[in-house]
Amino acid sequence: MSMASIIVAIIAFVLGALLALLTIPVLVWLERRTAGLVQDRLGPNRTNIFGFRLGGVIQSFADVVKLLIKEEYYPSHIKMGKWLFMLAPIITFSAALLAFMVIPFADTLVIDGEALRMQPIPVEFGVFWYLAIGAVGVIGVIFGGWLSHNKYSLLGAMRAASMVVSYELPLGLAIISFIITYNSVDFNAMVEFQSDTFFIFLPAWGILIQPLASVILIVALFAETNRNPFTVAEGESEIVAGFMTEYSAMKFAMYFMGEYVAMNTASAVIITMVFGGYQLPYVSTQMLLENFNYFAYTLMIVVPVFVWWMIRFMRRNNRVRPSVSTDSGRAYETKVISIFLVAMAVIVDVILLYLALSPNALATQIAVTLLQIMVFVIKLMAFNMFFILIRWTLPRFRYDQVQTLGWYYLLPLSLFNLFITAIVVVGVNS
Amino acid sequence: MSKNIITTPRYGKSFKDKLYLPAIYEGCKVTFKHFFTNLNDSNAVDTLEYPEEQPRDITERYRGLHRLTHRSDDTIACVACFMCATACPADCIFIEATEREDGKDEKMPKKFSIDTLECIFCGYCVEACPCDAIRMDTGIFSLTGVKREDFVLDKERLLSHKGAFGEEKSCARN
Ligand code: SF4
Ligand code: SF4
Repeated sequence: MSMASIIVAIIAFVLGALLALLTIPVLVWLERRTAGLVQDRLGPNRTNIFGFRLGGVIQSFADVVKLLIKEEYYPSHIKMGKWLFMLAPIITFSAALLAFMVIPFADTLVIDGEALRMQPIPVEFGVFWYLAIGAVGVIGVIFGGWLSHNKYSLLGAMRAASMVVSYELPLGLAIISFIITYNSVDFNAMVEFQSDTFFIFLPAWGILIQPLASVILIVALFAETNRNPFTVAEGESEIVAGFMTEYSAMKFAMYFMGEYVAMNTASAVIITMVFGGYQLPYVSTQMLLENFNYFAYTLMIVVPVFVWWMIRFMRRNNRVRPSVSTDSGRAYETKVISIFLVAMAVIVDVILLYLALSPNALATQIAVTLLQIMVFVIKLMAFNMFFILIRWTLPRFRYDQVQTLGWYYLLPLSLFNLFITAIVVVGVNS
Repeated sequence: MSKNIITTPRYGKSFKDKLYLPAIYEGCKVTFKHFFTNLNDSNAVDTLEYPEEQPRDITERYRGLHRLTHRSDDTIACVACFMCATACPADCIFIEATEREDGKDEKMPKKFSIDTLECIFCGYCVEACPCDAIRMDTGIFSLTGVKREDFVLDKERLLSHKGAFGEEKSCARN
């Protein structure tokens, strides 16, 4: 183990943890703002620190503080297994978190001939890790529901458990189709496969090669994350708050955050398996490395354009209506953020120019890695956005509809797809 | 079949409906449209920026905070009959009666308080009152405070609330 490999491993781990944990407040905020805009209202946009509202993200941090200092309350009927009652949300939360840790953010970084994986947990059997850890989350839900000694909670937990069982099968079969197609259980190899093209011009993304399996994967992962339209574990109209009825303060927050981490993990898995992971379409890592100066020039144009667009957007929207007299520092905030963005753009452009003019193998590689991480984050957020918009589009399915969909439609379809995949792959290879 | 019976067509039987994905696509189109229009110009979203902008459309029938009314000579209209406290399903009206000195009636409340933290704003107290002494026509829709005690309205506070829709005096007794 060289110095570089240790540093890269630490950076990858920290990055993974940050991506998983820091996205929670951002996702909570994103969800609330999106919900607001979809429903023709605004969502949280007031909380600020010295006038900085950042569009309302600060609200999520305020909520975290609130939940942390809230009174911990235990129902008095929970005598035995109190520690398990406390542990349950942690299980759900950490399962989702650990499952996220095998997603590659960028291609393997080669320093001094040593291949360093940009994965928080650098394993080559990522898919198996995901399948093994990802489903553990529901155990936390079952424990929580069972130990609450409450019929609503128990029903919610049972519903969650049976749903996860029903959807684990189509999910597994869909993933096996992908494993056969990509001929690997390594997430990174899957992404590399997808940087190719097929049919001459189409990017070889999973959604185009395996459309049916992709749809099944996406639907099954929606169910696994317990999000709309598959929120059968909760349900105000029939089982109150479901398995988390008896949970309060930070214990509740753990479940709540676990849902967002799970959603983030599901998005990461979907983009890695189906939407080309950290790759831009048509552009493989090798190509990026070889023609880096062209990409640098393109980026040098894209970044200022984006900053210009962002500043215009802020000036248009980060103000109050004329009918409201107090501005509460919005103009000031716009100004400071604009200056910050412009400075960032200038710095990025200077660095890119330097890299483009005087090629340096190591620096180029690091720049490419950073670029890929950026692409990954953008794709991840875009898919999270999709999750959120689906939530505000579809109503919750009835419980029997959920089961019917799982057993009568998805399972046969995924079996059929597996069958076809096997025939095609064997046919192509022989 | 009578011509007044309308048979609505049942949806969900065709293959397209069963596939469900086109429906999701249609739904997403609607949500995306709202989302992007509003994102593009969030100041055009038709909401009230409370508390800077106050609602202007509170109707006369709005059940706001309680008040105790006055008679035409500005004395308290309440005769401490306890009807409201009896009718109150939340048990949040506390009355202490005392003898009335001004010769108008026999009794009046010495203390009259409503714990609005428990009140469910059902309006039963208004219905029950035989003297039109308690009303919920103040138009006050928000009550804020920093302590629990701030939410217990005492007699003085209830008397100081003004009716928002013109009728200031009690019309039942003089
Ligand atoms: S509004 Fe209803 S709950 Fe409130 S004080 Fe009157 S009777 Fe009681
Ligand atoms: S407010 Fe009306 S009902 Fe209540 S005690 Fe006074 S007179 Fe009786």
